[in-house]
Order: sequence, then C-alpha cells, then structure tokens
Amino acid sequence: MTTLDQAHRTGNPPRTDAWRTRDILVTAVIGVVFGVVFAYWNFVWTVIAPSSALPPIQAFLIYGVWLVPAVLAPSIVRKPGAAVFAEMVAAGVSTVFGSPWGPDVLLSGFVQGAAAELIFAMTLYRNWSLPVLGIAAVASAAAAWVHDWALYYADADLTLQLIRAVAMAVSALVIVAGGSYLLERSLRRTGVLDGFASRTA
Amino acid sequence: MSARLFVPDVGVAQQASVLGRTNPLVKLGIAIVWLLGLGLTVDVRPPAILLVVALAAGVTLGAITPAALGRRIAPFAIAAVGIAVTNLLFSNHNTDPLATELVRIGPLRVTAEALAAAAGLGMRIAAIVCIGAVFTLTTDVTRLIDSLVQLGRVSPRFAYGALAAYQAVPKIVDDLTTLRAARRLRGLREWHPRLLVGVLVRAIRHADQLAIAMDARGFGSGPRTTYRPVAWIPLDVLVSGSAAVILVVALLLGR
Repeated sequence: MTTLDQAHRTGNPPRTDAWRTRDILVTAVIGVVFGVVFAYWNFVWTVIAPSSALPPIQAFLIYGVWLVPAVLAPSIVRKPGAAVFAEMVAAGVSTVFGSPWGPDVLLSGFVQGAAAELIFAMTLYRNWSLPVLGIAAVASAAAAWVHDWALYYADADLTLQLIRAVAMAVSALVIVAGGSYLLERSLRRTGVLDGFASRTA
Repeated sequence: MSARLFVPDVGVAQQASVLGRTNPLVKLGIAIVWLLGLGLTVDVRPPAILLVVALAAGVTLGAITPAALGRRIAPFAIAAVGIAVTNLLFSNHNTDPLATELVRIGPLRVTAEALAAAAGLGMRIAAIVCIGAVFTLTTDVTRLIDSLVQLGRVSPRFAYGALAAYQAVPKIVDDLTTLRAARRLRGLREWHPRLLVGVLVRAIRHADQLAIAMDARGFGSGPRTTYRPVAWIPLDVLVSGSAAVILVVALLLGR
C-alpha cells in the first residue's frame, strides 16, 4: 500500500512517457555498464562455445547475459523505447571494444531490444511485475534465437534449434527476468533509484 | 585481460586514412548490408572473398597495422570454429540418406554436404569478425555519434546522452577493479554477479550528476548549434559504390 505521503517522501514522479535527461543518462549508463560486461562475456562465450559443441547447452544457458539491459533498464526508468535504447547502447559499446560479432551486434541488439520493447508496449508501460519481465525476456531471447538461426546456425537441424530454444528460454527467465528483478531490488535499497517510479507506486 | 581491453585503438593514422575519412554511417551501412548479403548463401566462397577484401582494405586503405588487426581477430577464431563444428554435427544433411557419408561414429553420421555447409558458416563468422574489426579500428566514436545526429537524424538528446554515458567507461572499469580488490581483501571470490550491483550504483550516481550538469547547461532545451559539422563527401559515394559491387561479385562467384 502506498499512501500519498509515502509517494511524496520517496519522490515518485508523476507517471509520464516524456524522457527527462536523467532517464536518458541512467538508461544509457546501464547500457554502457552492460557493454563492458559484454566485452568480458564475449571471451567467456568464446571459450565455452567450442567445448559445448556436443551438447551445445552451456553456451545457450548463459546467453541471457546479453539480453539483461533490454529488461533491466526499462524496469527502472519505465519509458517507451528504454529497452531498445539500452540494448543498442550496450551493443554499441561492446562493438567499440572489439566484440567478435562487429556491427552484427547492433543488428542483434536492435532485434533483442525491440522484442522486449513490444511486450512492455503491450502493457502500455504500466505493468512491471516479474511475470511481465519474464515474458519480455523470453520474447527477447526468441528474437535472438531467430536471428542466430538465420545467421549462425543456418544449416543445423531441428534438434539443435530446439535445444537452443529451450536453453535460451531458461536462460532468459533465470538470468534476464530473475536477474533484472533482483538487481532492480538491490539498487532500489541503496537509494540510487529515488525519483524513479517504484514497483509499488 | 585488463583495463587495456577498454582502450579503443583508433589512432591518428587510422582516422586520417581513406577508411577513416569515410563517413562512419557509410561503413556501418556496408557492414550491415554485407552481413545480410552473407545471410543469403552458405557457400564458402562469398564470405572468403569479403573477408580478404575487408582485411586488405583495412591494412591498405585503413592504415591498420597487421598486428593490431591480428590482436582484434585472433581470440575469436575459436568462436568461428566452435560454431562451425556445432553446425557440422547437427547438420540437416547428416540425416539425409542421399548425402555422401564421410564418417560414422555410432549414431553420429557426418556427411560431405554438412562439411561444406559448416565450412561456409565458419567462414561467414570469420568474415563478420574481420569486417567488424576493420569498422571498429577505423571509426572514431564521437564522429559516429556526430554523423548519427547530423546525417542520420537521430535525436541529439539520446545520441549525446549515450555519448556522455560512454565517456564513463574508464570510470566503470576503475570501479570494477576497486570492487574486485575489495572482495579479494575480504577473502571473497573475485568475480561474482554481485559486483554488478556496486558497479551499477556508482554508474547511476554518475549518470545523475551528469544529467544535472547537462540540464544546468541547457541540454536539449532548444535548437542546437553544431561544433563539429559532418557532411557527405564524394569519398562516401565511392566507397559505398565499390562495396556494393564487391558484394554482388562475391555473391555471383559463390553460385
């Protein structure tokens, strides 16, 4: 239960879709932090991918790390476009620091962000509960799955595509939705998110 | 792997080179169109041609030293091989009774057709890696953002907001180093997902301060003047035209 007084004290702003400079900078910086994470993750994945050629589960179970900004940033700033913006910034930063996938990261980043965005748009940017984060995370993973099928696993059979689908969906639910939820909660406790709409508001 | 990873190595020579002077949006466009073009074929020849062209252009037109290029590309050769092997073992062709069998180990059957397709996909990834490396090693981030705003009609608030956040990378890497040292001091495992909370807290604080400073200077409050004008130049047309021809030729040779 949130009283008017509580809302006032925690400084929850009135709900509006307009972006303040603060919203832009915070979304961008979340993207940048994950761009740095991606730069490390690209190495981790590169080491794990070959060892998991048979069965290729591990590589896809950790795939979710690449999708976190698309869910974490919108769940904090709650503005239309935050998923795409954060994921594109993260992709851009990881490109600058030599992501192996080069400009393809921007393409993947766009489809991954756009898929999550679509789900948030369907709630009219009003519902930020864990199930919605979960659906958005899985949507983002689904977009990545299709993109990678066409570009990287074009000749693989249905078995592999299904293994990838299941592993990526699990990864999306645990790492992306669960991770974003926990991160958002921890960040809120520290007080840095004062002035952003909270889950109870 | 240290903070050195987070230093973009685009030097003065690369920026002054032909590819360095080519508009970043043109190079980005080429990279993406080539990528989509490569998606049309699993033949090994088109990606091999584009790979060679990209590397040759990077070294000659882009003034990239082969050493810098090698450092960028080498770690990811493993990924190309890994994905190729996955495609090989799980190929559609392996279950096709008409395909030529190469090896059979128990239930696992590897066919010549699968090998060809896997080689094509491995080469595709190698090409993507090389094209990406040449793009990054000749492109200055600030110029890319300027071009996005002035020529690409991207909202300046978002583009320059992202650029301001991007400038925080060295700070973020420093914070990460400090937080890891603190964990080590406390006898905890150095790498842990919890590190992210600390890094994000400090990054968000930084973003808040930036936002206040930018607002105080009237960021996004009216029409902008341009400090570094960017315009299309004839070179952009020349480079995009050549890139289009190269892609078409590469795809035709792969038939």
